[in-house]
Amino acid sequence: MPVLVLCYAVICLAWFLRVLSRRLRRPELRSLSLTDRLRRLELGILLLPAVAALAGLSGPVDGTLGMATPLIAVAIWTFAPAYVTSGVVPLSLVAVGLDGFLRLRDYLRGTSWASRYGLAHTGNGAAYPQLVLLQAYLFIAVGLYLLWWTHRTSPWARAVLRRPGRKPGGVSVPRWSLLLVPVTIMVIELLGRTSWFGASWWGPGLTLVAAAAAVVSVIRFPALAADLAFAAFILLGLYGVALSAFWPSHVPLPSPYTPDVRFGVVLVDGRPSAILAGIEGLALLGFGLWLVPRALDDRTRALLRSATDADLAVRVVRLTRTRADAVDGAAAEIRRLERDLHDGAQARLVALGMSLRAAERLIATDQAAAAALVAEARETSVKVLADLRDLVRGICPPVLADRGLADAVRALALDTPLATDVEVDLDGRPDLPVETACYFAVAEVLANAVKHSGARRAYVRIWHSDGALRITVTDDGAGGADPQRGSGLLGLERRLATFDGILAVNSPPGGPTIIAIEVPCALAVSA
Amino acid sequence: MRVVIAEDLFLLRDGLTRLLRAHDIEVTAAVGSGPELLKALLEEKPDIAVIDVRLPPTFTDEGLRVALEARQRLPGLPVLVLSQYVEQLYARELLSDLAGSVGYLLKDRVFSDEAFVEALRTVANGGTVLDPEVIGKLLRRRQADEPVAALSPREREVLELMAQGRSNAAIAQRLYVSEKAVSKHSTSIFAKLGLEPSDDDNRRVLAVLAYLNS
Repeated sequence: MPVLVLCYAVICLAWFLRVLSRRLRRPELRSLSLTDRLRRLELGILLLPAVAALAGLSGPVDGTLGMATPLIAVAIWTFAPAYVTSGVVPLSLVAVGLDGFLRLRDYLRGTSWASRYGLAHTGNGAAYPQLVLLQAYLFIAVGLYLLWWTHRTSPWARAVLRRPGRKPGGVSVPRWSLLLVPVTIMVIELLGRTSWFGASWWGPGLTLVAAAAAVVSVIRFPALAADLAFAAFILLGLYGVALSAFWPSHVPLPSPYTPDVRFGVVLVDGRPSAILAGIEGLALLGFGLWLVPRALDDRTRALLRSATDADLAVRVVRLTRTRADAVDGAAAEIRRLERDLHDGAQARLVALGMSLRAAERLIATDQAAAAALVAEARETSVKVLADLRDLVRGICPPVLADRGLADAVRALALDTPLATDVEVDLDGRPDLPVETACYFAVAEVLANAVKHSGARRAYVRIWHSDGALRITVTDDGAGGADPQRGSGLLGLERRLATFDGILAVNSPPGGPTIIAIEVPCALAVSA
Repeated sequence: MRVVIAEDLFLLRDGLTRLLRAHDIEVTAAVGSGPELLKALLEEKPDIAVIDVRLPPTFTDEGLRVALEARQRLPGLPVLVLSQYVEQLYARELLSDLAGSVGYLLKDRVFSDEAFVEALRTVANGGTVLDPEVIGKLLRRRQADEPVAALSPREREVLELMAQGRSNAAIAQRLYVSEKAVSKHSTSIFAKLGLEPSDDDNRRVLAVLAYLNS
């Protein structure tokens, strides 16, 4: 038997590793760092087998269920889209954590049914029951962290965590999300606050805190709250049905001792009230199922249809817009160059030619006048050079071409009439277009700081991490910079968007102003 | 005076060579790339090198790098770096060894050949010559600072010329005042900036530049 189990585990692991390596080597991910690749693949999945194994370890280890879970996990991972699995993992962790609380409740009530929870045993005579609580917190924390960790790349997590009103014409707050509040209170009651805290005021306090947390999530993450609400209704309903069916045995497994359980409006202390609980459970279950199609908003429906299509559609819209911006920007730039050349260098060269022609005519008759004209021509040529120098600086600053972003920004800091410290941590150079865009972004931000903020010091930091070039420009000025009002920052944002870059402004009135720029790019290793 | 010239455009290289020869200056080598320049400098050990910043093979700041490297191997080797643009960053790098004998000028300055040849001689004699544009930028950056703001307009003019590397006599001539007046101004400037006064022109320039660059 152990040999069989071992073979089975090895097969599962080999399968898992094979799929993982194949996904990691996908060509579109090649330019990214390993961490980024994992993130793009929604690493949450790496923990799926771990979660499955934990679920298998918890409860009675009768073998079949415990052995089947890794297999199911790997199968889900192989065949389901990445966003599904990455959503499953954090949520499973949270669910396993909540299960820990239920088990501890039973332990506190003195149930003699011993069960395993991760590394500890619960039930009468268990050693280290506090380990259960610790593990439960840990599972919930890791689950929530993973949710946050993947939210930038996982469309599921992003949709769930998105704040309302961020996107123009975005998601309206689903009405159903408000149901999260009563559901939360019910769950707290079910967890049996009296057996945790006795009659002290901690019990009602906990209920209040949980309800407040529910209200906050309804406001901050309405989409998440709506999803959680209907999921909770369904789960609570199932629990109620199971409670009534198995009464007086414990749910879901037999136990010689059965405590009272408060389930919604029913206090289950005997057969009749258990039946009432079952009816309530059925009602909740029905209501939860009825909610599903109504609580799902457009974005979730789009996700359920096809994440890839939805993602691609968003990407196409974004690319179309940034491409139009880039073309407009380039055209405006060319017009500016043409005008500068026309009014500057070209006009001066005409004047130069005329001076020389006049000097040529005078040279035989009036040498002094001719010499004066030639001197004038020379002056003009100096001015032409100065014009062209400014023009070149506006296209691509020479230091940038010579040395790259780091020294170009250092040179910029020296030319800025503001004490500016520069700290650069780059192992190579980004592509010249990215460098140029970033350089002009920093130049514009520093120029703004000089013009508007009344700052005395500025601080520029440039580094590369997680596949993106990151820049922060901080000044100690008056703050209050608003990208929506100043067209300069808006223009910068557009220019950076061509490279999928973003610009964030944090400038409370009274300062300080922090401008953060992030452009995804790879670094070419310098020779 | 023996000079090595490095400039990749033939017309300019030729023009420079002729300009210097017209002033009885011996051009021992005129080269067109970074590696050639380094070889020429190490072999010829000229009195001064006139170097264009942008040189093949990289067409970036090759000339500047060779100049810095050559000065590492031959400390104090006088170099006059020419460029289509001037950068404070590059000026700093050239000045950083505090050995003097450095010039950094816009290419346009060769148009006025007397001033150019004078700058060349100053650098060859251990002086420091910086383009007025660099000095202007330096002063602009420091103009809000207390000590610089405390200077009178005339003192600022003198400071600017001093930082460019001009002697008292040259400053006096330029501002149409007596040499004595210039030296009075310079004493006052040094007092206001809190610098050690010095009669030595070179050391004076370096002190001013170090102050402005800090």
